[in-house]
Amino acid sequence: MLKLSTSILLASSVLSAQTFAAETTSTLTQVKERGYVNCVIGNSFPGFYSLNKEGEWQGMDIDMCRGVAAAVFGDAQSVKFLPVQWAQSFTSIKSGKGDMLSKGMTWTLSRDAEQGLDFLDTYFYDGQGFMVRKDLGVTSVKELEGATICVLTGTSSELNIADYSRAHNLDLKTVVFDDSSVRNTAFFNNNCDALTNDKSGLAAQRSAAPNPADYVILPETISKEALSFAVKQNDSEWANVVKWTFAAMVAAEEFGITSENVDEMKANSQSPVVRRLLGVEGSLNKGLGLPQDWAYQVIKNVGNYGEVYERNVGPNSVLGLEREGTLNALWKDGGMMYAKSFR
Amino acid sequence: MSASKYTDNSAVKRFKAAPARPPLKQNRGVFHILRQRCFNNIGNSVLTLLILLGGFYLIKGMLDWAVINAVFVADSRRQCMEISPDGACWAGIISWFNGLIYGRYPIEEQWRVNAGFMIAVAWLLPLMSKGLPLRNFVLLSWIGLFPFLGGYLFLGGQFGQELGLLHGLMTSLALAYFVLNYLNWGLHKLGKQGLHEVFVPVLSQWIQRRVHLTSLLLVWGALAIAIAFGLTQVSLPSVAIERWGGLFLTFIIAGFAITMAIPVGVVLALGRRSKLPVIHWLCLVTIELVRSVPLITVLFMAVTLLPIFLPADVEFNKLAQVLVAVCIFAGAYMAENIRGGLQAIPAGQYEAAKTLGFGYWHTMLLVILPQALRMMIPNIMTSFISLLKDTTLVSIIGLFDIMLMARNIANDKDWIGLHTEPLVMISILFFVICYGMSQYSLNLEKRLKVDR
Repeated sequence: MLKLSTSILLASSVLSAQTFAAETTSTLTQVKERGYVNCVIGNSFPGFYSLNKEGEWQGMDIDMCRGVAAAVFGDAQSVKFLPVQWAQSFTSIKSGKGDMLSKGMTWTLSRDAEQGLDFLDTYFYDGQGFMVRKDLGVTSVKELEGATICVLTGTSSELNIADYSRAHNLDLKTVVFDDSSVRNTAFFNNNCDALTNDKSGLAAQRSAAPNPADYVILPETISKEALSFAVKQNDSEWANVVKWTFAAMVAAEEFGITSENVDEMKANSQSPVVRRLLGVEGSLNKGLGLPQDWAYQVIKNVGNYGEVYERNVGPNSVLGLEREGTLNALWKDGGMMYAKSFR
Repeated sequence: MSASKYTDNSAVKRFKAAPARPPLKQNRGVFHILRQRCFNNIGNSVLTLLILLGGFYLIKGMLDWAVINAVFVADSRRQCMEISPDGACWAGIISWFNGLIYGRYPIEEQWRVNAGFMIAVAWLLPLMSKGLPLRNFVLLSWIGLFPFLGGYLFLGGQFGQELGLLHGLMTSLALAYFVLNYLNWGLHKLGKQGLHEVFVPVLSQWIQRRVHLTSLLLVWGALAIAIAFGLTQVSLPSVAIERWGGLFLTFIIAGFAITMAIPVGVVLALGRRSKLPVIHWLCLVTIELVRSVPLITVLFMAVTLLPIFLPADVEFNKLAQVLVAVCIFAGAYMAENIRGGLQAIPAGQYEAAKTLGFGYWHTMLLVILPQALRMMIPNIMTSFISLLKDTTLVSIIGLFDIMLMARNIANDKDWIGLHTEPLVMISILFFVICYGMSQYSLNLEKRLKVDR
């Protein structure tokens, strides 16, 4: 009986191997053979992924992908960024063109369940908000009854407004755009009363205003936007690599390891958990199929989560987002950033 | 009989010219023209004044924004706004200028792009000499050989490794041709007949038949081998195609499409007029199918649908996909232009060619097509211009052409929100290029006397 079932299993696996030859080799193996990680991003999203004038990508999503490259190859440059439109995000992962998706995509049920993706971890908790001109005297979204709202079409923002407007009987009128620059210009030229976007985006747009002090971001957050990375469904080996790379960045912050003191920590730290994390002792790398010093490389090349946050979206960056008291703080500080145990 | 009967003038009614009217006063000065044409009655005077006023405010507004209040030196958009809140912030464009021109091409390698384009232009300079021997080959070699040399310069890579053997070979041939091309031109300028005058006497002692061409081919081949050896000694760092961008990429796509459009168009147009049903229908369906679908949908399909159908490890080069798509597109439109030209050729021309004993290909290549193409120059140039502008569509599928680079400025942390100025800058750039193309075509028409 056992024999029969084994042979059926074998036969079916051979069959599927023939039909889906590409899918049977795990992404990790493919990545190692190829020599670089294919990271799917979008065209531009300040603070998360954007080009600088030297033509290099920078931003939080970019650093996440660089972290994975550092974990696999010990080199944060071994990554190729594939900027795609929203519509192509899912197919690019499903078709295997991209290894991981890190483009500020919100984790939603339908995307998780229907699109052939596995969402792994949330690296940025965001939520939809509203920005209005200060002289409007509005202090709450509830006061926006009958107002016109500038919104990007085809985004979840557009759907959320409809929901919120219906739930609170606000009769919000949307003015849709398909280019964020045009939408912002329209808002700053007073073509609509309010601008809606994820709050991180609002911060970026506010900083682009002729006079940022003329605008306020209203306190309400009307949606949950958990920006998360995703990989192809049913590839746990690769999912583990991505998941634990991020966990290492969060854990490093918790343990006070930064890109600057990581060498010293590696040499001198007596804390068993730090020694395990940095690969000084233990063999946490074996199960992941990564080099002994993978986590050290991540922290050395990219930094811990706090550093990545500060560099790209923190108070001194163009977005100027405070971290304290938000969901993006470490769990110790009341946030949601919680790395599972390195054991 | 006196002769007075015949000489008496009074009896004959003679022709007498009417006194000449004063000449039409044409050059009576600006004031006269203005009064006659712009202020000849109240309505027109008001209209003139209104238009002047409108024009004044329009131009003043533009000048204020673009020049007078504009900021040319600043570190960020915020600084621009502090210096002058309602002027253009050209500092951002200046800071991103390299990016707009070269895309994401590494800065230290950008000289290769310049060199490539200079060689491309220099290659064609000998065309200026009318009686140059082997003049036809200048353009042919530019189409057939230069792309390999350009590809080598832009892509880089070690000869024989990243650079394929065929590509390396063609690059060497191209470089060798470039050298010979200039040698030929130089000799021509010096009053010699051309290259073969120098080489033939030396080499013809060994080779009896087809002396001219063979001797030149031998020299070419020898030079290419020498160059190939030289190329193995140097190595250009390779630059991935993803890093190509900006105006550079726009020129590559448009240049490729423009050079391929005519051959593809000629083949399709002749095919459509063919009496062989298979060829006729094949060409007809291709033309009609391609012409009825917007370019943007084809581009989208190429990048979103193809990856689903193809196995994961087949990696398609996005640029190659785009080049093929744009090429077929340009060809289909060009085919109809050329067909128009073909139909305008009177039947007498075909008959005359037949009388001379020409077959189909001779008739077409020597009699019909030269006339048809010349007649269609305005249309062909119109297609080229719209093609150049259409290339900006590739930005939506994520190729970093000048349009996408410009849109990225607005998301750069230093220049966040700066999106009007880049678009204005691109408009100006495209106007200059397209106007240049259209002037060139007018010049070409004049030279070839299209409207004789």
